[in-house]
Amino acid sequence: MDKRIKITLAALIVRLVIAPFFMHAGDLGTIYESSAIALNGGNLYNYVYQQTLQMQSATGLPVFFEGYAYHPLLIYFFVPFYWIYTLIAGPSSVIIGGHFPNLPVLVYPWALIAIFMMKVPIILADVAVVYVLSGFDLKKAEIYAFCPYIIFISVVWGMFDAIVAIFLLLSYITFSKTSYTLSGLTYGLSLTKLYTVVLFPLYVIRLWGKWKELGQFLLGFSITLIPVLYYLIVSPVAFLNVIVGFQGSRVMGGVNLYNFVWIIPDVRFDLLLSMIPSILLVISVAIIVLRYGRRLPLVEAILAVMLVSFVFGKVLNEQFLVSIFPLILLCRECDYRLWVAPFAFIFLRSPFYYFAIPILWASPYFYDLYLQADTLWMHLQTAGYLMIPMYAVGIAFSMLLLWNLIQVLKVSRPVGAENTRSRSLSRAVRIRRK
Amino acid sequence: MKSLTTFFIVYVIALSFIPIVHQMFIAQSSWRGYGTGAYAYQSPSYFVLFNDPYDGSSKPNIHVNPSFAPNDRISIVEFSDWTSYVDGYNLFNDFNVTIRASSKLLDTTYTRPGLVLHKLVDLSSSAVQVKIIANKEVNAHIEMWKWIMTSVNGMTSVNAPKPTVIPTSTSINFTFNDQSLNAIGLGEISLSRVPTQIGVWPFESGFNRVTVDFINSEMTFTVSGSITEPGQVGWTYGDLPYVLPIIAITVVAVYLLVERYGQKNKDHTRRSHR
Repeated sequence: MDKRIKITLAALIVRLVIAPFFMHAGDLGTIYESSAIALNGGNLYNYVYQQTLQMQSATGLPVFFEGYAYHPLLIYFFVPFYWIYTLIAGPSSVIIGGHFPNLPVLVYPWALIAIFMMKVPIILADVAVVYVLSGFDLKKAEIYAFCPYIIFISVVWGMFDAIVAIFLLLSYITFSKTSYTLSGLTYGLSLTKLYTVVLFPLYVIRLWGKWKELGQFLLGFSITLIPVLYYLIVSPVAFLNVIVGFQGSRVMGGVNLYNFVWIIPDVRFDLLLSMIPSILLVISVAIIVLRYGRRLPLVEAILAVMLVSFVFGKVLNEQFLVSIFPLILLCRECDYRLWVAPFAFIFLRSPFYYFAIPILWASPYFYDLYLQADTLWMHLQTAGYLMIPMYAVGIAFSMLLLWNLIQVLKVSRPVGAENTRSRSLSRAVRIRRK
Repeated sequence: MKSLTTFFIVYVIALSFIPIVHQMFIAQSSWRGYGTGAYAYQSPSYFVLFNDPYDGSSKPNIHVNPSFAPNDRISIVEFSDWTSYVDGYNLFNDFNVTIRASSKLLDTTYTRPGLVLHKLVDLSSSAVQVKIIANKEVNAHIEMWKWIMTSVNGMTSVNAPKPTVIPTSTSINFTFNDQSLNAIGLGEISLSRVPTQIGVWPFESGFNRVTVDFINSEMTFTVSGSITEPGQVGWTYGDLPYVLPIIAITVVAVYLLVERYGQKNKDHTRRSHR
């Protein structure tokens, strides 16, 4: 069998075996709940907005309900698989509750099937990345296929950054092959998680002056905006509150230098302080795009913008690195071992047994063990012991991102020597031809 | 590139001091809202946590800062909405709750048809006042928890029935052992009027809750406490703001050392082509 197929199948099998038995209850529960609402014709943004209004009314604080706060397109990746699940198990809810800090109620055996089905789009995205990468370099594809961090995020956690990764990778490849409409379309699809929005000015500046190509890119991109337009017409207040209000006024934190904020119990102050990284993000992205946007090969330019947004941006969750991991593998200047920091961070922020809820909830004995372990974990957390390594890992990861950013910027060429075809892609293609 | 690194290092270290700055200049003596919807107040001697509307515990939880360990917070008593009732209605399950804070006063409003109740939490330098005001005369049962009180009004739990009704008065004094500091604490709950009943609940070698029943439209609980015998002072959550700058400087120093003396530009992806 072709080695490329072998790696892809191996990546698929590993993920299929793990998928039903683990989940991040809060995040996977949100997608499960949102798929059910969407399939029944409900408006996700109205639901989240109502919850937020209720919370704000009860507390008198600018707090937001953490529900579906993504691009409207995202849910359409999951709804078909949820629909198939309902054909098997019926429409009754089998993952009930689970929004932080509550724990979910799981109905067996259907909950395991539901968990599995909600991960199918993520697994397909992961496997597609492996397949595409193996077309360039089998070794890089192997790294992606079997990287513990990638596997954990996709099939243990159940987070869908692999969907961002595949579309960002395809956008880069199609742009390099001058298929600008496809590049715009795939870039638009990568916005299922909104943090890739910082790349939009980069694409525009690289095509600035080539009006036909820019038009093609924007045409492809605009197709992905149709659902956005729909919600802006149907429920503008709810949509803007959830997408702009929530995402724009989130308190900083994650695997970055801003974790000190968790020991400042003052949400108004935290929100005010969170404006500093937001301002720095805008300035730093503008500098990178204007100064290096055309002088760097495309993969390096994309990585420079994403890395600087990770370094200065206010929120950097553990899974965000997945989105650019394939591009990091294609870039010779970057060190892909970056994944170790966010991987370690996962186990400092959430106890490892939290991800094993689908297994532990199956038996009262394991459930009891969970509660005992959680008492110890809560003690460590409330005493502040976990905060110290979390803060250290956050800063260390930011410094590593900065180091990688500097390495990437070093390959910039003098003005006038721009080349839209990526050096990395050309190199990869040369290797493949050998 | 060097200027970018320098800027970033200064940025990281400068930000690490923000928790100390906030604690010293902003957080003192005013109600601050958490991102979860809870509220907290830090006075020179007391730390009060009032949990979010989705949690019936810590309504409020009153802590004292020992004079010999000002960063530590020792819980004196915790009001529980889970186990408190007004006219037979549970404060957590049977009321709509909204919380509003001014800088000094926290006002929690409990509403249900025909009944409006305010729980006001106010701090002075020497005590914490929890005032309950209803729009009519009510029959209230308020529970306060402490794990655990070694004695209440001079009484120990030896052979005490569950619950033990103690003589009514306007003062409830109790002692407790704090395990984290290995110290002895004193607590006092003063009531604005004599209640109809005071009960204490034996648990292991002491008591774990005090219940106060009253029929009135108003009752004020004034809570104070102190830690009398200092034991060993260890690590506390309150020390974190002082530790973070050390961590930031250490991580940055390690980065600079590795960048200077470590292997530069080691290309790990290139190995894959061999």
